[in-house]
Amino acid sequence: MEGTSPPKILLRDLSMTFPGAMNGVPLPVFERVNLRVEEGEFVCIVGPSGCGKTTLLNVIAGFLKTTGGHVLIDGEEVLVPDHRRIFIFQECGVFPWLRVDENVGFGILHSPKENRRRIIRHYVEMVGLTGFEKAYPSELSGGMKQRVEIARALAANPDVLFMDEPFGALDYFTRLRMRAELVSIWEREKKTILFVTHDVEEAMQLADRVVVMSRRPATIRTIIEITLPRPRVLDAQEYIDMRNGIFEAMGLDHSGLGSASDAKKSSD
Amino acid sequence: MSKPRLIIFLVVGCTLVLSLVHYWLNGRAASGNSIGTASTDVSTFRVGFLPVTCHLTCPVTDWINQNMVGKGFYEPVRFSGWPELKEAFLSGDLPATFLLAPMAMVLRQQGVPVKIVYLGHRDGTALMVHKDSKIFNFNDLKGKTIAIPNRFSNQMLIIYKGLRDHGMTIDDVKLVEMPPPDMPAALQAKAVDGITAAEPFMAQTEMDGYGRVFYQAKELWPNFISCVLVVHERTIREHPEWVQQLVDGIARSGKWLDSDMEHRMEASEAVAKNYYHQDPRLLRFVLSKPPDRVTYTNLALARKDFEVIERLALEAGILDGSVSFDNYADTTFSARTHDAQPYSWEMKQ
Amino acid sequence: MRSSLERILLPVGVTSCFIALWHGLVLWSGSTIFPTPVDAFTGIVELMRHGVLLNYIVASLFRVSVGFLLAVLIGIPAGLFVGWFGRAFSAFNPLIQILRPISPIAWIPVAILWFGLSDLAPIFLIFLSSIFPILTATIAAVQNIQLVYLRAARNFHVHGLALFKKIILPATMPQIITGIRLALGIAWLVVVAAEMIAVNSGLGYLIIDARNAGKRYDLVVAGMILIGLIGLILDLAIRKLQQLDEVRWGFQSFAAR
Repeated sequence: MEGTSPPKILLRDLSMTFPGAMNGVPLPVFERVNLRVEEGEFVCIVGPSGCGKTTLLNVIAGFLKTTGGHVLIDGEEVLVPDHRRIFIFQECGVFPWLRVDENVGFGILHSPKENRRRIIRHYVEMVGLTGFEKAYPSELSGGMKQRVEIARALAANPDVLFMDEPFGALDYFTRLRMRAELVSIWEREKKTILFVTHDVEEAMQLADRVVVMSRRPATIRTIIEITLPRPRVLDAQEYIDMRNGIFEAMGLDHSGLGSASDAKKSSD
Repeated sequence: MSKPRLIIFLVVGCTLVLSLVHYWLNGRAASGNSIGTASTDVSTFRVGFLPVTCHLTCPVTDWINQNMVGKGFYEPVRFSGWPELKEAFLSGDLPATFLLAPMAMVLRQQGVPVKIVYLGHRDGTALMVHKDSKIFNFNDLKGKTIAIPNRFSNQMLIIYKGLRDHGMTIDDVKLVEMPPPDMPAALQAKAVDGITAAEPFMAQTEMDGYGRVFYQAKELWPNFISCVLVVHERTIREHPEWVQQLVDGIARSGKWLDSDMEHRMEASEAVAKNYYHQDPRLLRFVLSKPPDRVTYTNLALARKDFEVIERLALEAGILDGSVSFDNYADTTFSARTHDAQPYSWEMKQ
Repeated sequence: MRSSLERILLPVGVTSCFIALWHGLVLWSGSTIFPTPVDAFTGIVELMRHGVLLNYIVASLFRVSVGFLLAVLIGIPAGLFVGWFGRAFSAFNPLIQILRPISPIAWIPVAILWFGLSDLAPIFLIFLSSIFPILTATIAAVQNIQLVYLRAARNFHVHGLALFKKIILPATMPQIITGIRLALGIAWLVVVAAEMIAVNSGLGYLIIDARNAGKRYDLVVAGMILIGLIGLILDLAIRKLQQLDEVRWGFQSFAAR
């Protein structure tokens, strides 16, 4: 994917150390991360839980200041969050005091009323929440809340979405459906997506490329390109090979999926 | 309108309506600050009192003026306890008040510009014990608990004197301070062994059948004074005519009360109903049985009365001797009352 | 699942038992001073006949609502400010923590010295008693606000006053309402003490006045009953605030129980 066009996101020697986080000893979170993400690309970052992927995403989004290296988006250094790049949080960031339509329209408060109403209707429909516009988030299921947050992000018309394990709290079947929906939305909207997960299957389902991180201090172990067409068939040999490649890169025995899920369990 | 906004609107609206209704139902005359006018301004010339017979001339003077000329020249303000009364006086919101004599002297000693201008009454204090108690003489008081209205009161000094005269000391009893209105219930419940304060709260225990007189103050201390009329020095400076009018009024209503038992009965009714909010039978009882239980003549300031108090107060350690009659008393107003005539008010039947 | 009949019968039954017990104990003790429930009830009727009942209720409600409203109007913005700005918190919090545990009763002398004989003194006392629960609840609410809401707001470029209005205030509202409810309870609790100061109306004054009146403890208890009943009504009213759509999310765990 190394095109000649300028990259959308460029990480250059990005490092982060929490000063004295543990008993006064500085704690390195990730080190010398270099990554290039193209416009419209769907990139998943996987790694063991607690490896610093979330911190990395927060730095890229501008919520945290890095202690070394640079984040460039569209060639500009990222210092603060920007409404052209919306973050979707692991712990649902939907505002519980606003109704679904008010939440979806939150990022476009300044646009003209009629226009705003049209955008809200469009994205509420896109995430399949038509009929729930006047509901409060507390009346919705976890999956529906996550859709509200996605709709809110899309309504602001960003060119980048940062997603931090957005489906982590959902049940298995909802998670599967949400993945499929996200892919179809992405295919329509062509946003650049940086998606953090510890679920290798999830990354396999979604990404153009999977960035595999090591344990803390995290570095990029490898980057695996998934060329399979979507929707991806779970039992295709090519799919299984690629997935095992990721497990291998993560330092897990590719023949024993059991050990992989054990690792997941213990870290959860 | 959104719901939260509606609620804010409702709450503010309700408060406004409540304010209006409150001032319509309960409002005193708003105090138009008219200091400097010749006649007294009822809304700013407030005189404090407690619902006790020692302060009876305060409501009586107001009531007679209400009836004779249609309005009083001051606003009598009722309190329930000494601390609140004293604090209101100190705040300056109360230019004049009835006050315990030793408390006035102590305030002066503490630097408060207070002047005693007249007496309020004579006698009218007793020490009551429960009728079932075995307290019959001073020796029986040893180790007992007695409720007094305030440490700076002649009620306290008279116990001090009584104990001393019987070879005991004040440390032989336990004194507790209590608002006079709470004393009868305390005695009835035997929470204390004795109570002493102004009437009618002592007589109340007698009337209700659980109190017995241990002593009447006058038996130990002839011409006993509990309370005096005090004013701020500023009031004397700025409105001497208010003070004179008040002193004259107290003198005249005092003489009116003592000139005829019928007057006392009329006053009992009117004061109990309109000022003290008590059972009129109580005041009738106190003012008539016997008639000299409390008196309202001979109220002019006399140095010798206060020297008695001073001596006892010095001995008891309440005063330190740094103030004398000339500091805390102003006899000018009192001196002009020697020819005061009783009010010519007779109740129309 | 409790039936609605049960929900009415249970409290009515317990309260009736309480009243019956009260009546029986007074008769049994042979007290001539302490009133029976019947005495207290006739006391209330007597107050009504004298036409002072409404005056007293209005007077107390007036003082409580003004003092309480002032506490809300000052307490919430001050709490948001102190809770949000770390420097303001370190500057003001010690003072707040020192003033908070002081009983309003202790402020009575100060109130009289400052405000003399007006409605202002009891209003001041009620204000003091209710501002601290509001202040502390608001400060704690701001400090416990979920980081995810603040980050989302920053992400959408919401800053300054808009941040307070659109995020901080609504996010803290459930906790603030809990503080407000607590404060109203305390404000109403303090009304008796506040009206000991030379005012000439109010339910607190009714109790003080009845104490002056010799053996009128029926009126004292009548005043107590009225204060209790009105307190109950106020609490029921303010509980309705918790059911507002905008804040209901904050009380979910209660509703679920």
